[in-house]
Amino acid sequence: MDMTALMAPFEKVASDYYGYARDAAAAGRKVAGCMCSYAPQELLYAAGYLPIRILGREGDTRRADELLQAFSCSFARSVLDSALEQEWPFLDLVMFSHTCDTMQNVADLWRAHTPDTDTLIASMPTRTDGEASLRYCMAELERLKKKLEAKTGPISDEKLTEAIRLYGDHRKTMQDLYALRAAKPGLLSGAQMMTISVAAFLMDRAEHLPLARAVLSALNTAAEPGGVSWPRVFVAGSMCRHVGFIELMEAAGCAVVGDDLCVGSRSFAHGDPDGDTPIEALARAYLERIPCPAFHRDGRHPGHALVEAARRDKADGVIFLLTNFCDPMAFDYVPVKKALDDAGIPALSLSVEQHREPPEQLRTRVEAFVEMLRESEGA
Amino acid sequence: MSIELPRLKSYSRMKQIMTMYYGCAKMAEGTNQKQAWITSGAPVEFLYAADITPLYPENHAAMCGATKMADMLCAAAEDAGFSRDLCSYARTDIGAILAGTSPIGGMPKPDLLVCCNNICGTVTKWYQELQRIFDVPLVFIDAPYQYDEEDTDHAVAYMKEQLEEYIRIIETVTGKPFDHDKFKEVIALSETAADLWRDIQEMLAHKPAPMNSFDTFIHLAPIVTLRGTQICIDYYEELKAEVQERIDNGIAAIPGEKYRLGWDNLAIWHCINALSQKFAEHQAALVVSTYPESFCYRGPIHDENDPLLSFASTYIGGYINHGLDYREKELAHMAEKFSLDGFVMHSNRSCRAYSFGQYELARRLEDKHGVPSLMLEADMNDSRTWSDEQVNTRVEAFMETLAARR
Repeated sequence: MDMTALMAPFEKVASDYYGYARDAAAAGRKVAGCMCSYAPQELLYAAGYLPIRILGREGDTRRADELLQAFSCSFARSVLDSALEQEWPFLDLVMFSHTCDTMQNVADLWRAHTPDTDTLIASMPTRTDGEASLRYCMAELERLKKKLEAKTGPISDEKLTEAIRLYGDHRKTMQDLYALRAAKPGLLSGAQMMTISVAAFLMDRAEHLPLARAVLSALNTAAEPGGVSWPRVFVAGSMCRHVGFIELMEAAGCAVVGDDLCVGSRSFAHGDPDGDTPIEALARAYLERIPCPAFHRDGRHPGHALVEAARRDKADGVIFLLTNFCDPMAFDYVPVKKALDDAGIPALSLSVEQHREPPEQLRTRVEAFVEMLRESEGA
Repeated sequence: MSIELPRLKSYSRMKQIMTMYYGCAKMAEGTNQKQAWITSGAPVEFLYAADITPLYPENHAAMCGATKMADMLCAAAEDAGFSRDLCSYARTDIGAILAGTSPIGGMPKPDLLVCCNNICGTVTKWYQELQRIFDVPLVFIDAPYQYDEEDTDHAVAYMKEQLEEYIRIIETVTGKPFDHDKFKEVIALSETAADLWRDIQEMLAHKPAPMNSFDTFIHLAPIVTLRGTQICIDYYEELKAEVQERIDNGIAAIPGEKYRLGWDNLAIWHCINALSQKFAEHQAALVVSTYPESFCYRGPIHDENDPLLSFASTYIGGYINHGLDYREKELAHMAEKFSLDGFVMHSNRSCRAYSFGQYELARRLEDKHGVPSLMLEADMNDSRTWSDEQVNTRVEAFMETLAARR
């Protein structure tokens, strides 16, 4: 098994976020940027676009700072700045989806200031349970479909079904990979897993799928190297696009075995796309996924859900990656931390800025945490 | 040196009403009288129709802010892990629950929670937390944000379905069938109050303005909490008469009114008097605000025979649940109708929904409509980031700009 060769295509894409899309655009493909994992990419794919995820970038956000107060999250400022600097001329269209108060206003600012790019906003329901929400979501998807059809011509049910199947298969493969990583962390590191995820957001899923499957089948049959047993860490948070954070953790001597991150497993944790029509199947897939903290599902307890996920992945501890000014996550943090305390699972909270590399001083904190996990394991 | 501003007689009546309102709620705690906690923008009429007392954590938080208790309560929530960057209303109220104290000794425990996200996404998270604390039913009404100007049909239909569900949950809580006749009566009372409230605000278009927006903030408590009751109507009739009397007698809220300003965003509760004084020194009257306007908004669909549909259209939300183009239009309209010299935009650290976009709106108002704005960086409830000096300097500079434009 040649892991280097298996990982090479993902690393190539993840090392130059928008290179893949730029090349596709140069070859004549229409590219659509999605601001969040709730943008119904299947619709875009069926309409002939290459949907990619906008992830932000390093660097200051001077132009965005003129439009957005300093109490906004670094993701919002970073992506808005890139848009204002016209860094993504290869995008034909940008799709927002309704999540939090910040992105709601950023969508509006964005479309006012990028007149040359089409902007579509998917006003997805905040409520993810119940028939009313399903009906609304379907109607909203129909509205978006019509908007896209006005640009690209009719989207047939066959095309849409095909796209839904591709994305469904791809998510299933990613879920299998995440499960395999938890089962055999010695074979696939957390950083490698995140690199595969980041690449998935930036590539054609039809091209990513066989590559991911190749990793899966190679590792399924491989035996884990014996010897060192590292503390197992689960990572929780909202946005974090930096593989560097996971690398930093693993360099401190732990294995990142699972995550509940928006740029991570959560974006592949969709429901089975079932329904009488393709639109219904699509709506169900998005509504039944593990929700982003900005959403509402009656009776869902984020703390219980996280304890369950951490236990499933046999985590010894949890590290939070918290983006400043991310309100939905900041609210959830309290019950989640409490549930972890009650369950006796140690946790560490780190603050993440999307437009900066992980600061060096985090290393010491992570090392101390990992050391503590190792000691309590020994005891 | 402070300037003597004419005081509204209705103020003491309003205080009486609010004291009674909270007093009754406190007394009802532990009795059979059902009480609900509800967000300020949610349809309250259903509760009054079902004889459930609505209580407003937001109003309660503002009261804590105005009485300078908010900082202490916010700190209590922060000690429990809530980030200091979160909404200070949420921190104040959660802090009041945790600390078991507030100007009224804490709000009575709810039997029901009603949350509508037509004002922000923060309430979604806040009420999820309240449900975990109190373990009572939560009505969550999802009002899709209206990015474009016209409310879309499927969003209105979605709202309507959720209102039907709201009724079903109320029936479970009260154990009684929902009284649709009483509901109609409550709607009529609510509309009358909203109309009075709108009339009063429109009277501020008069020059000189008979009342100040800072007064409006104070006098908005009954329309928020008691909309749908006769008390509310009686109160605003009294207030309206008093404001009319001022117009008739030529009494100005700000003696020697020279400038007329609009206000955007929530009030800054912890320094409402000081700010009022500050502007009065410059003979500037604040005559209109986007915030109180929210409580007399009416949606584009009005169908007498289908109150739920009309409600759905209205409660999808006014100013704050609409995109920037809509907001720009509203602000420009206000500037014209109220003969404004400028806007004061409270860039509210606590409210991303309301605040993000203000820089853009200020620019559009200046460029397209010739109306300048002052950006005041503050927080509605948390005074710990407030700097008198900085605010004074900004106000002075803005007033100089306005003077130079004359």
